[in-house]
Amino acid sequence: MTQLLNKVINALEQIILEVIDTNTGTVKWVEGDGEWAIDLFPNAGNQQAFAINEETPFLQDFLFDATLIWQAAENGKLRSGLWTETTHTNKELYLEAIAIKQDQHNLLVITNQREDFEFQQKTKQLAREVLLSYDRLFLKNEYLHTRLLSILKQPPEQSNILTTLTKVIENAEFAVLIASSDFSTNIENSAAIKLFDQGTLISSQPSRPIDIILRLMQNQLPEYERILSTNSSWDGELCWISPPSTLKWLKVAFYPVKNKLNEVENWIIFANDISTIKHLIQRNEQLALQDMLTELPNRFSFLQMLEKHIAAKQPFYLLYIDINDFRRHNEFYGHDQGDKLLIELSKRISAVVKTSDFIARVGGDEFAIMLNNIDNQKACKIAIQRIIDSINKPFHTKKSESFNISISIGAANYPHDGQSVEELMKFVDLSAYNGKKNRKNSVQFYSQSMKDASHHLIIVEQNLRQAIKNNEFELYLQPIIDIKTNRINKAEALIRWNHPEKGLINPDDFIPIAEKSGLIIAIGEWVISRTCQMAKQICDLGFDIKISMNLSPSQVTDNNLFAYLSTCINDNKINPRLLELEVTEGVLVDDYSAAEKLLSNVRTIGMSVSVDDFGTGYSSLSYLKKLPLDFLKIDRSFIKEIVADDNDKAIVRAVISMAHNLNLCVTAEGVETKEQLSFLVDNSCNSVQGYIFSRPIKLDYFIKLLHEQK
Amino acid sequence: MIQKKICLLGASSVGKTSLVKQFVEGIFSEKYLTTIGVKIDKKTIFLENEEIQLMLWDMEGNDTYNVFQERYLRGAAGYIIVVDQTRATSLHEGLDIHTLVRQVTDCPAILAINKSDLPATWNMDDSENKSYQNLFDLQFSTSAKTGSNVEEMFSALAKLLLRS
Repeated sequence: MTQLLNKVINALEQIILEVIDTNTGTVKWVEGDGEWAIDLFPNAGNQQAFAINEETPFLQDFLFDATLIWQAAENGKLRSGLWTETTHTNKELYLEAIAIKQDQHNLLVITNQREDFEFQQKTKQLAREVLLSYDRLFLKNEYLHTRLLSILKQPPEQSNILTTLTKVIENAEFAVLIASSDFSTNIENSAAIKLFDQGTLISSQPSRPIDIILRLMQNQLPEYERILSTNSSWDGELCWISPPSTLKWLKVAFYPVKNKLNEVENWIIFANDISTIKHLIQRNEQLALQDMLTELPNRFSFLQMLEKHIAAKQPFYLLYIDINDFRRHNEFYGHDQGDKLLIELSKRISAVVKTSDFIARVGGDEFAIMLNNIDNQKACKIAIQRIIDSINKPFHTKKSESFNISISIGAANYPHDGQSVEELMKFVDLSAYNGKKNRKNSVQFYSQSMKDASHHLIIVEQNLRQAIKNNEFELYLQPIIDIKTNRINKAEALIRWNHPEKGLINPDDFIPIAEKSGLIIAIGEWVISRTCQMAKQICDLGFDIKISMNLSPSQVTDNNLFAYLSTCINDNKINPRLLELEVTEGVLVDDYSAAEKLLSNVRTIGMSVSVDDFGTGYSSLSYLKKLPLDFLKIDRSFIKEIVADDNDKAIVRAVISMAHNLNLCVTAEGVETKEQLSFLVDNSCNSVQGYIFSRPIKLDYFIKLLHEQK
Repeated sequence: MIQKKICLLGASSVGKTSLVKQFVEGIFSEKYLTTIGVKIDKKTIFLENEEIQLMLWDMEGNDTYNVFQERYLRGAAGYIIVVDQTRATSLHEGLDIHTLVRQVTDCPAILAINKSDLPATWNMDDSENKSYQNLFDLQFSTSAKTGSNVEEMFSALAKLLLRS
């Protein structure tokens, strides 16, 4: 029996040492032998006691931890982890030790782990080479993308731009293509020509690189149509097979360059050959199906699984989860924190889905989940709620700053909504995209009406673009009355859209779309320009009236806004004192540093600043003290019930008192009755605005009012 | 003879093994072979009439596949955080490891900014440089490939250990 045991131990390449004295590290060799073991302990004879000393320093160090096991009352064991020992004959041994306490016996088992070591080294070597390659690829892409965008966004009159641009593109180590909006013309660098070289054997005209990429995207991406129709950016992997000899894996990044009207003027496309990385990954099956960052299954693995489930004809729900404003988060906290967020998010979602469900990372900040064994929307909603609850808890950066994120979830049902992988992926992608209207968590189930609504948005956006070109907007003015003098001293400029067919359209119906599509910048510039003209016209008639204009969140973060404002003021030769900017408190909190910079600049030149809709948003009061402000406008929702509701009364009194203590004046919005007015007068409100005096009116009527008041 | 344990720590593929190889054997290999577990090398140097044996604990880099293990630091007289100047992320990872080590020992620490023979992809301004200097006892810009500052770094650490 002992002989058989010894054979097994030798086959396992182990030796067993019995510990005689834990304090001196003295052991006795009891079982196992082999050349490697003799190399390790050349001075230890069979069955002889010997001390583990500085000749094997790793093992000697391990004895500290091992002693705790041996001296414990209970049975137990502890592994040392792998180490490499160089023997006196200069051989390298790959070893692991296990300290064991078993029924009063203190044992030290040493295993020659050559095979396990080599396997680990091979796997980790591949994994780390892939990590490194991705790291480098990412850095190169980010660098060039940032540089190209900054160059393309510079005014064309800036000298040397073409030379710089050409140099940057030509010297890139990977394919760079800049295409016109319809992809008909494009420039490409030498790396692109090399990457898409189709050999000289092909008799027909070789395809242009851009056409190859578009064709691959069209065939391999269910999102293709959505990307083009919504002018979105995309990055991911494509496989290019061109018989007889081409098989390349490409990592492609696809970015639109838009003008002020949110029209695509160019597309920038980067393509890297990642065939080697793919090859490395494919040598290891696990890596080929796994996302390296989150350790979840990857897109490829997910699509495979989706195919399998569809083939099995079992109903399920497909969810597509997209992190809102992930790019902004990355820019703000850095890419390593972005990675940390993705890992944490994947853990949280994995913890709340069932083991029978399947979750994968299918894109940069996109996750997909198959909720199996669910065939009704109610059950699906419960599962989604668990996911939302899990991400609603704050996340933390490495510096322990806490922050919250929101996600957009698109959901579709198999077989009801779609019956193929392409259809389902396309539908959930569209659903998640549609849910991204605000920064809140959203869930959007696929439906025909959603598809129609998405189409409607595209039409409104096109109409808005026409409206800017055809000058279909008009500014109305709503008087603001100074309570002390009971006279108009200010007016708020409010935009209206004179639609050629639909008539007058209120801003609530088109500003959110303009904001989302980026058209708000162009519309905002029109508002600034027209406000300046109106202020000038009123001033020239001898009236000292300030005009305030609303700024949207995108305008506050637009670097060119202040320069544009200054130009309009100079062109119209008006005193900046006659202009005011209105921003909502949400903008102040979300984009604090951008808002602070802009507001300081405008106040330096003499304009004033007011906070709109005060009390409805974040109500973070710290910004009131820090930011350069002049007025608070109490939201109409507090004024509406002010006569009857004691809470509203208390809130309005408190806001007025707080504002006055901070040297800010207060304007009440939405004043409609005498009772409301008298409450505001009694409580020292500075000015009021509302239907009790006038609704928003056209400029000529406003001027008439001013004349009447004279 | 005095014996001192020195640990080399950092993200994977920053060049810890190459630094040890350059210091102990005076050679450099372009081929990257990832370290698994721990490997201990010894080198004896003479300093101020003293013979010092440096026990260099070259540890597997910390990443997704291998988490930091504080037990290997037991008895360390000093440690070197190695970062790769062509990868900014390795600096952040190195600083994270440094924070973890500081929770178990306050022995002398060196920051080795390795691969100085290659162009750096991050630029430290003076204030950053200063703030890192404050975190470490010494800082070296090294190249395991050319040998630049490798000997100097280990000698400086040994000197520091002799005095402490």
